[in-house]
This record gives sequence, C-alpha cells and structure tokens, in this order.
Amino acid sequence: MIPSNSLVFIVDDDPSIRKGLGRLLRAAGYVHEAFNSAIEFLGRAVHPGPSCLIVDVRMPGLDGMGLQETLIRRRRDEELVFITGHGDIPTCAQAMKAGAVDFLPKPFPPDELLDCVERALSRSANKRKHAAEKQKTRDLFDLLTPREFEVMQLVVTGLLNKQVAGELGTAEKTVKVHRGRVMQKLGVRSVPDLVRLVEKAAITPAARYETKV
Amino acid sequence: MNSPAASFEASDVQSQEDASNAALDWRPLFLACSVFAGYYLGAKLGFALTFHPHPVSVLWPPNSILLAALLLTPRRAWWIPLLAALPAHLLVQLQSNVPPEMIFCWFVSNCCEALIGAGCIRYFIPRPVRLDRLGNVAIFCLFGATLGPFLSSFLDAGFVVLNHWGTGSYWEIWRIRFSSNTLAALTITPCIVTAATDGIAFWKNISRRQWLEGGCLLLGLVVISFVLFNEITSEADSALLYMPLPFLLWAAVRFGSRGATAAILIVTLMAIWGLAHGNGPFSENSAETNALYAQLFLIFMAVPLLFLAALIEERNKVEGTLRERDERIGLAAETANFALWTIDFERGEGWVSDKGRDLFGFGPNEPLSRAAFLGRVHPDDRDAVNDAIEQARTGSLAFEIGYRLLRQDGDVCWLISRGRYLRNDHGEISELIGVAIDITGQVKANLELRLQREEMARLSRVAVMGEMSAALAHEINQPLAGIVSNASAGQRFIDRGNVDLQELRELLADISADGRRAGNVVSGIRNMVKKGEAARQRLDLNQVVKNVVQMVNPDALLHSCELQTSLAADLPAVEADLIQVQQVLLNLILNAFDAMRETPIAQRKVEITTSRNGEDTVITSVRDHGIGFPEEANDRLFEQFFTTKPEGLGMGLAIVRSILESHAGTIAAENAEGGGARFHFTLPIQPTV
Repeated sequence: MIPSNSLVFIVDDDPSIRKGLGRLLRAAGYVHEAFNSAIEFLGRAVHPGPSCLIVDVRMPGLDGMGLQETLIRRRRDEELVFITGHGDIPTCAQAMKAGAVDFLPKPFPPDELLDCVERALSRSANKRKHAAEKQKTRDLFDLLTPREFEVMQLVVTGLLNKQVAGELGTAEKTVKVHRGRVMQKLGVRSVPDLVRLVEKAAITPAARYETKV
Repeated sequence: MNSPAASFEASDVQSQEDASNAALDWRPLFLACSVFAGYYLGAKLGFALTFHPHPVSVLWPPNSILLAALLLTPRRAWWIPLLAALPAHLLVQLQSNVPPEMIFCWFVSNCCEALIGAGCIRYFIPRPVRLDRLGNVAIFCLFGATLGPFLSSFLDAGFVVLNHWGTGSYWEIWRIRFSSNTLAALTITPCIVTAATDGIAFWKNISRRQWLEGGCLLLGLVVISFVLFNEITSEADSALLYMPLPFLLWAAVRFGSRGATAAILIVTLMAIWGLAHGNGPFSENSAETNALYAQLFLIFMAVPLLFLAALIEERNKVEGTLRERDERIGLAAETANFALWTIDFERGEGWVSDKGRDLFGFGPNEPLSRAAFLGRVHPDDRDAVNDAIEQARTGSLAFEIGYRLLRQDGDVCWLISRGRYLRNDHGEISELIGVAIDITGQVKANLELRLQREEMARLSRVAVMGEMSAALAHEINQPLAGIVSNASAGQRFIDRGNVDLQELRELLADISADGRRAGNVVSGIRNMVKKGEAARQRLDLNQVVKNVVQMVNPDALLHSCELQTSLAADLPAVEADLIQVQQVLLNLILNAFDAMRETPIAQRKVEITTSRNGEDTVITSVRDHGIGFPEEANDRLFEQFFTTKPEGLGMGLAIVRSILESHAGTIAAENAEGGGARFHFTLPIQPTV
C-alpha cells in the first residue's frame, strides 16, 4: 500500500543505477525523481509528502554520509536507504545509528530494495502523521487563555480543585469554572484524556507558559 | 708495512737476503779455494806438457780456468779469483825454478788474457753465461777463445824475450802461446762454465737411463780416443781421425752443451797425452809441428761442436716452450668451454680438440670440412653461417658468428665461432684456424632472467590490481546493480500486463550495455594480470593516459582525489608495450593517492601532463600535492626494497624503472614547488615508418 503523495528520490552519480532503479520503481508503482549529486538534491524544494531517499555512499563532492548529516542538521524528514558498491561495516553502522532505514550492497536484490522503500515510505508517512497530529493538538492548546493554561497544567499533575485554588491563590469555584472551560475547549471528558492530550502535544506539566515546548 | 700480507712479503725478502748474504759468506771462500786448486793443478799439468826448450806448453789450463772463474762471478767479485790465483801461480812457478821477474810477468799476462776475454764476453752476455745459444757461442769463441789469447800472446812473448827466458824468436813464441791458449780456452773453459751453471740441481735430476747412456758414451769415447791417439800410427789413413766424431755428435745431441764440452775435453786430454808419449797420428814431425797439428785438429773439432751443441740446446728449449704452450692452451680451452680447430688446406688435414669433437659430434676418423660442420648447424642458421665464412674467405679473412647447433640427440646448443684464414708466403689461403665457444649456459641464464623479470613485473601488476580491488569491485557492482534492477523491472512490467515495447527495448539495451561495461572491467583486470609475452606496439600516449585515468577513477573517488590531465596536442607516437605503460602510470598515480592521505580533501589533486621533449622523446609527468619525499632519498627512490610506506614492499618503483629502461626510456623524480612530488618519465619517439 503506497501512501498517497509519496515520492522516491534517487541520488547516485552512476547513470546505470539511476536508469535501472528508476524503471524498477516505476514498475512497482512508485513515483520517483533522480539526481546526479547530493548538492543537486539539496537544491530541490522539500516535498510535502512521505518521501524516501535512495542514496549511494560514494559520490564525488558531498557523499552519502555527508548528505545524511546535512539532512539531520536541517531537521528534514526524509527516510534514507543507502546503497553502496563496496560496503564496509563502520560506514554501515554509522549510517544505521544516524537513523537510516537500511544499508544495501550493490548489486541489491530488487525485492529487498522495494521492501526497504516501502518501509521507508510508511515510516515517513507515520512520522508526518504524528507530526501533523502533534501540531494540531498544540494548536488546540493555543485556544486556552493563560489562566486556563495554568489551571490545566496543575490539574494534570493530579491536584484536586481545592489544591489548585490554593496554588494559584484563587477560589475553588473559579478553578472549577476554568477547568470546565479547558475540558470543553480541548474536547476531553476526563482528566486521563486530558493527560494523554497534554502528552501528545508534548507540553510539560507545570511548566511556565513561556516555555511551552 | 701494517697489513699482514705486506709484512709477510717483507720478511720473505728479508730471509732471502739473509740467505744470499750467508751464501756470499762461504762462496768467496769456496771460489777462492777452487780457483787456487784449479790454477795450481792446471799449471802443473801445463808444465808437464811443455816442450823444451820453448817455455810454452801444448795446453795451458790455468788461464782458461781463470777465465771460467771470471765468467761465473759478478764483476764486483772479480778480485777474488785473481787474488786466489796469485799464490797458486807463485807456488807453481817457484817449484819449477822460474825466475821472479818471469813469474810476475807471466801472472800479468795470464790475468790480462782472462780479463780481456771475460770483460768482452760479459759486456755482451749478462750472468748467467750459458753457451746454449748460437750468439753466445759466437761471442765466446771470438772474444774468449780468440781475442784474449791473441792480444795476451803479444804481451807474453814480449815478456819472454825481454827477460831472455828460453830460446826461440818472438813470433814463434807468440804463435805457440796463441794456439795453446786458444785450445785451452775452447776445451776447458766451456766445460767448467757449463758444468758450474745450474750446479748441483742438474746432477740430482738425471735418470738412471741417462746415467747408463752417459756411461756407455764415456766408455766408447775413451776407448776410441785411446785407440786413435795411441795405437794408430801416423801412416794410417787420415780418415781414421774422424773416429771420435760419432761419439762427439752423440754427446752433443743427447746431452747438449754439457755433454759436448765434456766430450771435447776428454778427447783433447787423450790426444795430448798420446802426443806427449810420442804416439798417435801427430807424431811424425818435429815436436812443435806435431803440437801445432794436434792443436789445429782439436780446435777445428771443438768449434763446430760447440755451435752444434748450442743449436741442440736451442731446439730443446723451443720444443719445451711449445709443449708448455700447447698444454696451457689445452687447459685454458678445456676450462673455458672452448673447442679449437684448424684446417690446413695445403695438406688437406684438419684437427679439432677433444672438446670440439664432443661438442660437434664428430667421429674419431671423420674428416673435417665445411660441409660436415654446416650439417650440424641448425637449419635456420645455416645460411647465415655459410655467408659469414664465405665473406671471410673472399675478403676480410676473419669471421665471428653466433648460431645454434642441433645435436643428434636433439639438444640445441648456442655457440659463437670465431675463425681466421691464414695466408702462406705466396699470399694464398693456406689454413683456417678457429675457436668455438659454447654459450648455451649464458643464453639459458639470460632467458631465465628475462622470464623472471617479466614474472616480477606481472606480480607487481597483480599487486596493483589488489590495491585497486575495492575500486574495481565497485566498478563491477555498479553495472550489475543496474542489470538486476532493469531485469526485475522488466519482469514486473510483464507481470502487470502493462508492457510498453519501446520501454522494454530500451531496458534490454541498457542491460546489454551494463553487461559490456562489467565485462570490460573484468577483461581489463585479466589483461593486467595474465602471463604473456611483452608486445611492443605503436601507442598514442594521450589515449593511454585517458584509459588509465578512467580505470583508476573509482580508486580516485575512494581516496577523494581529483585527477587532472593536460595532454599535448599532436603528441608523436611511441613504441611500447601497452600493459607495461599502463602499469607505470597506475603505479605512479596510486603512489600519488597514497602520498595525499593527510592532505586536506580540497587540495587532493593529481596532475598528469604529456608533452614532447626535444627531438627524440615524449615526457609524461605525474604530480601530486602530498607529503613529497626527503631530498636524501632521491637517489634511492627507484631501488629495490626501498619504501617510505609502513607496509610497502618497495618493488613498485624499481619495476617501473626496469620497464622504462627496457624501453630505452628514463624516469626521475623531484619535489615540486608548492608541495608534493613530481615523477616524470620519458619514452623514445617511434620514427614514422
């Protein structure tokens, strides 16, 4: 199942590889783009969809490992599959530790490559989904007023209304009102749900408003 | 005088000097005593043979003995015999009641005779004086036996007349004195001189057979002489005077100078003894006449015999020298693997040394001829050999040719023959002499060496391929990955039922191209490492450089180095072996990569340039930006086993140099300005055909 709007990039200086891989991907139903060098690829705009990079380790100019490093630095989302004409274990280990999907020696069994591409794209799609959801949830929290935010932060730590009131120096009733509004705005019915939402948005409990992460 | 060898020699000389010093110590004494004794005894004998009233004897030995002594001693020691003779002379003269003035006068004239003779002879003949050459004998007879007595006789006769000793005219005395001294000089002096030279060593070397023969000779001689000079009366045929001649000849031929001079002395003594007793063929006239005839007879026998003896000695020496030379040549030829041969055209004879017989496979009685020789030469070389010999025969007289011999057992030998035609006195070809040298061993060794060198070069190429193996594997894996991907894609297209034929065509074409690409890499490797003869061909160096750059590109990538070329247009072609030139370039380029391991990536560049170098050569240079090499290593860079790499073997550059040298090229290296090293090599331009 190919996620929609996915794109596979081929970055290799060898024309045989580009052509062969391209045909293979096409035959398997993927859309692809091929680039002669890492610099050329970096010049392309970021693709707004699940994407996978098939990269040759050894290339003139910026090589595969350098590209991986650059992408990490720029916080890009592409998933990487490395192919190489001569694999050595240190390079492989380094690539995998830095988050590559796989490291295949040439000539690679085509099925294995397609398998990697599938995994990479689904990983990419999942990542994008999670990122999108996280952002959505965060946007929800933007609807809260600062006071409501404070109340919410204390509520998720497990404090009773009374205690929250004591912390904030307001009346319990006021806390109850704020709490009700928080639940309503965020669309949750119970504290556990609220806690899950907070976790999803990756907001630290009892953190200051300014340091919302 | 510090080294042991030198001190050995010094002490050796020292001991020899000591020995000769010691010798000199007893020799003068011995000399003096023998001269004294000889003079005394000889004088006694001389007196016994004196004809009264003339105070001259038939034979006066003392002067001859003195002459012999002077001939045998060095000039600085001549005072010894002269001084030793004085007391003997005095003794003998006093015993015979000769007045003192006469004694003195006679001593003077005797010494003069000896001195004149010895002085002149020694002027011409240095010590040791041997009568074994015609020239020496002639000088001896002229000065010792003629001039000396001749001149001193004047003195002697003058003294006698002056002192009124005895009767007789001046000229009578002169004549008698001259003839008897000459006889003594001819018979006594040669015997002493010949016997004393070589001394004791000679007597030790005589074989038993020689003793026997000598004994028979002596016996015969004595008997014949006795018979001739005692029993034959003067009325007998004068032909019988020749009786001693065969024995004298026997002595000369078989015993050389020694035998001849001794034999003459014996005959002389026997003759005079007979004469003294009034017997023999010289006894019918007056005493003086008899004496004169006898003396003349003996003198005329002695002189030719001395010459004959000298001739015999010369001949023996020549024979000895020849034999020694033959043996030496034979030994040298055997040791050096030579075969010697001669062909004498005038006599139609040929000779070949034993080694030659073995080598050429000639039977013991097979006649030698050019045809027989050519028959054994390898068929491919026959014409060349025949031409060389013909050219020599009709022109240059000498030939030298290398060829192969095909022996009956199928073996092939490599030989070099050198021959020379000799002309006789009329200018015609008379003889052909020659030498054949077996160089099979050397040829085989050279072949072996060449094979080993080629194998070394090949192994070096194998090693280079090994160094490049990562890059080469990459080069093969690329097209393989392409092939696999394309094939799989093709299968999927077909499975989907969505077959675009044009696309499939392109796909299959790409597979073919990739297959060829991989195949090229494999055959490139095979060409580098396979065994085979070096094959020279016309090469465009620019093209070779481009090929090598392509071959080494993956490796360049691996090392993150950049390759730049700057190739001259219109570069003349060179004649070289393609694989070996590739090997040279690969070696230099890979070394350049190694040298730049520590260089920052941006500066890792290898620059290859080609250009024409003057009239005859093309120069190619490989320059890197690495660490260079230390100046003092410049001479040693191309030595075997010299390396600056920790795991290097050090053979790469040595093999590169030997490849270039076998192409008549050169290689050199220097540190380049701005860092790094530059290696440049030249190859000779192939002249256009």
